[in-house]
Amino acid sequence: MSCEETVERLLRLHFRDGRTRVNGDALLLMAELLKVFVREAAARAARQAQAEDLEKVDIEHVEKVLPQLLLDF
Amino acid sequence: GSEAAGGEQRELLIQRLRAAVHYTTGCLCQDVAEDKGVLFSKQTVAAISEITFRQCENFARDLEMFARHAKRSTITSEDVKLLARRSNSLLKYITQKSDELASSNME
Repeated sequence: MSCEETVERLLRLHFRDGRTRVNGDALLLMAELLKVFVREAAARAARQAQAEDLEKVDIEHVEKVLPQLLLDF
Repeated sequence: GSEAAGGEQRELLIQRLRAAVHYTTGCLCQDVAEDKGVLFSKQTVAAISEITFRQCENFARDLEMFARHAKRSTITSEDVKLLARRSNSLLKYITQKSDELASSNME
């Protein structure tokens, strides 16, 4: 599956209306948005671990940054 | 029957999509790890991947609603920009990408 096809199928999994489609530009933008989402989650968790003087990022760090991440998206 | 087969197909698709998201998440976490000089535990990568996968449901439903509100059945860049409205920097980034796509479409 190409990146675009993956994004399309990911979204289409949750559409309520069978007629809903996503155009090419929107797919590319969503791919970008999802990448930003993942990078933000990772970067914020990393910063949290570093704030605790740790080099290893663990689930607790993700849990701590998750609420604000979801609010920002 | 065919309904059971449809359910199984859907489950298989979900597994494939989960795996694709997990793979990409791993790659992006690797980039961030190198950037910041940290290590991500396997469970952390899996957690971020799962969160992202689930967040797609919210994104998809919102996008569908935005398009429907505009009386369209096709989701466009405008809908994605609406999705990005909560963070100024994210909105700016998405708008920029959208403008780049629009100008390359015109060539």
